[in-house]
Amino acid sequence: MNIRRRVIDILAIAFGAAMIATLVHIVAILIIPLYATHDAFARLSPLGPINATIALAQSGPRERLIPFGDPAVAGAFCRFDLRAGPLRVKGPANLASFASLSFHTRRGSIFYAITDKAATRGMLEALVVTEDQLRALAAKDDEDTPVQDLRIVSNAKEGFVLMRALSEEPSLYPSAENAVRALTCASEPIPN
Amino acid sequence: MDTLIKALIACVIGLVVGLWATALSLRNARGFDAATIGAWTVSEKAGTLEADPYTRAALEQSGEIPLALGEGLQFIARTDDTGAALSPSCAYLVGRTTPPARYWTLSLVDRLGFPVANAAARYGFRSSEIQRGADGGFIIAVSSSPHSGNWLPIGSKGRFALVLRLYDSPVSATAAAIDKDALPRIVRESCL
Repeated sequence: MNIRRRVIDILAIAFGAAMIATLVHIVAILIIPLYATHDAFARLSPLGPINATIALAQSGPRERLIPFGDPAVAGAFCRFDLRAGPLRVKGPANLASFASLSFHTRRGSIFYAITDKAATRGMLEALVVTEDQLRALAAKDDEDTPVQDLRIVSNAKEGFVLMRALSEEPSLYPSAENAVRALTCASEPIPN
Repeated sequence: MDTLIKALIACVIGLVVGLWATALSLRNARGFDAATIGAWTVSEKAGTLEADPYTRAALEQSGEIPLALGEGLQFIARTDDTGAALSPSCAYLVGRTTPPARYWTLSLVDRLGFPVANAAARYGFRSSEIQRGADGGFIIAVSSSPHSGNWLPIGSKGRFALVLRLYDSPVSATAAAIDKDALPRIVRESCL
């Protein structure tokens, strides 16, 4: 009789523990991205102020800031905060090889990307705006002149823009790095 | 009183198991939407707004900056073609084709995704610099001892992984449908 009670007790504890374990696991997985203390944005933030272009060190054994970087690809980023107004992003794409701009929210989602194939006159250019800023811009648009800007709507106020440039050979890495260093990010006045 | 103790035991066990399961699932860093093709794993939704919670949490913890779909795709292999884990005491031949892309790079990283130091300071190959056979195919020798041709050194005794990146690839949107034969084979040659 006693043994039977013991077994029931242990089963009850095991069942309760399994329920709690499941709950803990689900909650943990869901809240980890909200804390975001290890993510790319948190790692990039101490490197410099908003809107400043900062080159990433070439991926190598001693460079341990961002994992899964490509040693063949130079990168530079700028952080943005759209509360200061729409963000004008310009990156030269005049090398023969691959170059791209990608737009990341503070939470690590990519909301847009363009490659050098979309470049006009050797330049990748975009205007990052919030929904409200887009509306304000559209209201001011002249109906007769077509909009020149590539306007990218961001749901997040904060994020970062990353420019990548591939070097075709090790000796060409410095020129790829020069290309990404020429990335510029500037806040424009909010249209009203 | 008795019930309270049992509930407490269940809570403690549940908490420990739940957190352990969470840590384990993040270390494997493989979300629901990751596809496995031969030895290679690819997550086309990594970094997008549609990424599943596991992919998001793993991305937050690793701090990597994923490629946008428009930029390219990243494949990771932690095993050879037979499914055996890549071992630093073995030599592998990797080749001969990749899915279509404007450029690709193939590099070797440690468990955390960083290049491994080696005397040759060779961390990967670019499609634009690799030595090819008469048919345009390539073979990369992955081994700790020097090898003629395209030699990718295994610099340490730790676990390692191979990373294949396709830049500007038409297969981006249909990564999961890539044929196994289109990706480089990873064949174990010999072991110490």
